[in-house]
Amino acid sequence: MLIHVEDLVHIYAPGTPLERMALRGVNVEIHPGERVGILGPTGSGKSTLVQHLAGLLEPTAGRVWLDDVVAHGRGAAARAHRLRVGLALQYPEDQIFAQTVFDEVAFGPRNLGLAEAKVLTRVHWAMGLVGLDKAEADCPGRDCSSRSQMEQRVPFTLSGGEMRRVALAGILAMRPEVLILDEPTASLDPRGRRELLARMRAWQGETGLTLILVSHDLDELARVVDRAVVIVEGRLVADGPVRRILSDGELLHHAGLDVPQPVALLQALQKAGWPVRTDRLLPEEAVAEVLRARGPGQIASKGGET
Amino acid sequence: MNLLLPGMYVAADSALHRLDPRVKMGGALLLMALPFAAPRLWSTLALLLTVAALTRLSTAPLSALLRTLHTVLWVGFFMFFFYLFTTPGRTIVALGGVGVTWEGLVAGATQVYRLCLLVTIAALLTFTTSPGQLAHGLEALLGPLGRVGLPVREIALVLTIALRFVPTLFDEIDKISKAQRARGTDFCSGNPWHRVRAWVPMFVPIFVSAFRRAEELAVAMEARGFRTAHPRTRLHQLHLTHRDLLAAAGLAATSLTILALNHVSWPPWQPPT
Repeated sequence: MLIHVEDLVHIYAPGTPLERMALRGVNVEIHPGERVGILGPTGSGKSTLVQHLAGLLEPTAGRVWLDDVVAHGRGAAARAHRLRVGLALQYPEDQIFAQTVFDEVAFGPRNLGLAEAKVLTRVHWAMGLVGLDKAEADCPGRDCSSRSQMEQRVPFTLSGGEMRRVALAGILAMRPEVLILDEPTASLDPRGRRELLARMRAWQGETGLTLILVSHDLDELARVVDRAVVIVEGRLVADGPVRRILSDGELLHHAGLDVPQPVALLQALQKAGWPVRTDRLLPEEAVAEVLRARGPGQIASKGGET
Repeated sequence: MNLLLPGMYVAADSALHRLDPRVKMGGALLLMALPFAAPRLWSTLALLLTVAALTRLSTAPLSALLRTLHTVLWVGFFMFFFYLFTTPGRTIVALGGVGVTWEGLVAGATQVYRLCLLVTIAALLTFTTSPGQLAHGLEALLGPLGRVGLPVREIALVLTIALRFVPTLFDEIDKISKAQRARGTDFCSGNPWHRVRAWVPMFVPIFVSAFRRAEELAVAMEARGFRTAHPRTRLHQLHLTHRDLLAAAGLAATSLTILALNHVSWPPWQPPT
């Protein structure tokens, strides 16, 4: 296994009137190449957990292992941990500081101590992954060893969606083994959301990295992850295949969430006596399930009935 | 959100919390002047007793008080050694060219004591008074200066907003430092030039977000009809109760007693002034 969380407890501001227990003994294992979704209501400890996974917090009790090494908040081991695990916090565009998009994306690779030529290829690669390399595509003959027009721009003049993608490129350019995204599509428009989702899947396929996605959006989770972990009030209440978790209405209700729309539809049909399975999370899967249940040849004749 | 700054307001329901902010602020100023106005032995002891009693009344946790005192640790050290080496008098030991004097030791200790006392009194005020009340109290106390053209309301408003954004700013610093550490920034190693440069990725985003927040706040205030030119009324008016008057009288009496004790010249040894 890659990451192993053992009896993790985190208390914010211990010994003060503001003391708050964010994690109350969490155990979880994450294997290489997995796509794991973390869901739970606001304030359940999701963000605290992923910051521990990224080696950014010191546990109050318990341990976080990365390949048999325990990382704590300080020291060389912790830094090595952080370089292997990339974390995009909520609203990652807030971390942008550089004068040009290139320098922003190059910040992480340079911190890794890479040579400037290597940094350049990393930046181009990452910009391509987030879809900010259109200038190159427009003029295929251009010299790849120089900076694109986009890379020369001042990041603060970009749109919100572009800034988000620049920030994500800055994390991807470090080529982490584990990529953690904390609500990456929050406050993006539906199209930006869809694009980012498609890219997330593509990154994962292309690089084989381990992906951990924190989200409230069940449709998003259904499309990207295979395994879901549910956290409620600092405790891990469920861990299993995303299909099972996201079609468990009772569990999701406990976590302050509703089942995805397709599941709700299938559940209603099942209640009405239809022989359908309810663990179909995506609209297209639900359509296929309904068609299967109705049997072949009936669509044309009874299509308008239901 | 998850942070307790030294000296930050601690919501509770103590006698000091309920007191009118004007009385508290006036009292704090009075008590802060006393170690300078009445430095002799019996006054000092009486003052220490008073501050200890007030600490008890405030129900402030001792750990929070110690944390606040911790912030002036280095200033205290510096003051102590400065006085230790620079006060002329009877030499105890001579280290090379500089001598440590008996007078220096006493003067250094006195300065550190005063510093700690001032910080404690200020902390008692901020522990028990919410930022809003502090600003309201300041506005009330500065009120008379409004007649000579000081923009008292605006000063109070600026103070309120500044205090309101302190926790927000610290949250922001926490977030950005995590984000940059996740990208491999190392604040604690390398040569001094590297360390200074490591702070650039911290401060630029924080300034950017501070300016953005300021602009958003200005728009939000104007959208709700805020104008500096028009006097505003308050939802919560300050009213002096019997208890406030009693507390004010008690503080005045205590202060007078401490001042009077300063005239007692026995025993012959007295702290330096």
